[in-house]
Amino acid sequence: MDSSTTTEAPSVKQRIVHAYIDRLREHGQPPLAVYPLCKSIGISEKDFFQEFPNLDAVESAFWRDQVAHVIAAVESSGEWEGFAAKQRALTFFFAWFEHALEIRSLVILRFGDLGTFEKPVWLRGFRDTFREFAKRTVAHGISTGEIAERGRLTAFYPDAIFTAFRNLVEFNIQDNSRGFERTDAYIEKSVQLAFELIRSQAIDSAFDLARFLAPQVKR
Amino acid sequence: MDQESIPSTKLSRIAALTGAGAKVSVNYLKHYGKRALGGKVDSESLHERNAGAVYKTFSELKGGPLKLAQMLSIDKNLLPPAYAKEFAQAQYSAPPLSYPLVVRTFRREFGKSPTEIFDTFTQNAVHGASIGQVHRATLGGRAFAVKVQYPGVAESLKSDLNFIKPVALQILGLKESQIAPYIAEVEKRLLEETDYTMELERSIDLSRRSGHLPNVRFPIYYPDFSSPRILTLDWIDGVPLDQFADSPTTSQADRDRMGQALWDFYDYQIHTLHVFHADPHPGNFLIKDGQLWVIDFGCTKQIDAAYYRKHFRFLDSEVLSDRALLEECLCDIGIFHESDSAESRKNVLEICAVSIELLGRPFRNGSFDFGDESFIQGIYQLGEDNLHSRDLRTMKGASGDVDGIYTNRAYFGLYSLLARLRCRVETRLPEWLQTAAA
Repeated sequence: MDSSTTTEAPSVKQRIVHAYIDRLREHGQPPLAVYPLCKSIGISEKDFFQEFPNLDAVESAFWRDQVAHVIAAVESSGEWEGFAAKQRALTFFFAWFEHALEIRSLVILRFGDLGTFEKPVWLRGFRDTFREFAKRTVAHGISTGEIAERGRLTAFYPDAIFTAFRNLVEFNIQDNSRGFERTDAYIEKSVQLAFELIRSQAIDSAFDLARFLAPQVKR
Repeated sequence: MDQESIPSTKLSRIAALTGAGAKVSVNYLKHYGKRALGGKVDSESLHERNAGAVYKTFSELKGGPLKLAQMLSIDKNLLPPAYAKEFAQAQYSAPPLSYPLVVRTFRREFGKSPTEIFDTFTQNAVHGASIGQVHRATLGGRAFAVKVQYPGVAESLKSDLNFIKPVALQILGLKESQIAPYIAEVEKRLLEETDYTMELERSIDLSRRSGHLPNVRFPIYYPDFSSPRILTLDWIDGVPLDQFADSPTTSQADRDRMGQALWDFYDYQIHTLHVFHADPHPGNFLIKDGQLWVIDFGCTKQIDAAYYRKHFRFLDSEVLSDRALLEECLCDIGIFHESDSAESRKNVLEICAVSIELLGRPFRNGSFDFGDESFIQGIYQLGEDNLHSRDLRTMKGASGDVDGIYTNRAYFGLYSLLARLRCRVETRLPEWLQTAAA
């Protein structure tokens, strides 16, 4: 189903990812060793290690591909250039959850029991790619005036957005409304709120208070 | 681009509602404080201040509460006029959905984004509807109004209505029994309304069957561009009925012609089809080139023939002049309960006689001038009086009549619109009553 991992003539890399994910989906557990994985697709261990340093890297690549695929799709749409940062964020989130339907069992398997702040190895590629996208969106928001430039604090925005995204994923896993409609409404409302907070003085004031209470943090 | 925030979680919804409750209480305290100090305050201005606070809350919540507000606003019999006025704005004020969410809804329903289907599509809503919003689209030189529904409306409906109930009871000074049938009906109707395919079928059916009426027009509906959450119809470049009515440049002849079209439209649907457009809100009618366009069939009501006969028998002047017959007819529609005392019955009978005479007046004269303000004022006054009548309030029956809500709503709405138009219309009794009278 994943267009990113099954193309016309799959490369060795793609075949490895596919075999890994297939096993994870079938058994609810990732392959525990490289050898049986290589055997199942008829490649040598050398072939494997030319592509990946270890098994974790395979899954990390899979998740990175998923998010990269969605980002590429939204950024290449005709209306993207005209969108403000808030619309871009919303568009991405809606597109992600549309795409996530195709891999819902994997999402539930991997994100289902994951705490919001846990950072497992397989999530690394995903997180990095997401943060790059978030950075671009924040920069765009600053240029349109939707987001206030807050010096060093601005650097924390991508992480904050990623945490918010994780929260949306958790909400979506719990959602049992028809066609996950409540997730749509939740995205709409929470992004709305986030952009209001990010624009208002609330964050400045909160930060100011924190600095006041902890003078040693000042420098 | 800038959107007002929508209260999101259950908790913030409660907070928003109790916020209104608090504001209203404060207004009441001020009111009674003033009175205690000997200052003169009329309860009308109190109602006005409260209405603003309550309305603001209702509109922030959209969905169920908004629908209930609109419904109560139409049934002015149940609401003090000040509330009715504020609530009547409901249609125009719900905060919009973001464009990405509209795109998402399109992709969910059609697998395509709006711009893949239409040549142009407005990113911002052109106006709101009670459970959705309207975008303007074009394709091949034709303009469309595309109604997109808020996601999850049906889901949040029930909890919203549960919050609204105690608030409405307390703030508006209504009784549980008065509001319960509204809540139940709004719930049922809203669930129906959340399925646009049903609205599509009804719209096509009703506009086909009423298509022959003079000066009444209907947009074409497009099933190919419609789904349970999206409804597409012709874009009508008209003037909303309230603007038309309030404009000083509208001639009396135009007022009369549009008023007549409106009257004929309702008359034909209620008395011939027994299915009617039950949302006579000014925003649902547009005037264009001297024609009345009916643009929203979201809320239609079917009444069965037996009920219809019982309800409209009151138009018969014989019923009005004969108290025994009147009592019998009122029993028929469940106004009286066995346990009502004889005295209470007698009082209610008189109240009903006054109501029926007033409400049926336009039918009996052959033609009627809705420009006569005393008529519509009389109706509002009647509503106020009835609201405060002990005998009506303590009655067991009467308020559970759901079909009645819609018929009343249609006629109150119709009368308000006609009064706003200040028009004179030709009227006649339904045929079966003409023969009965002869």
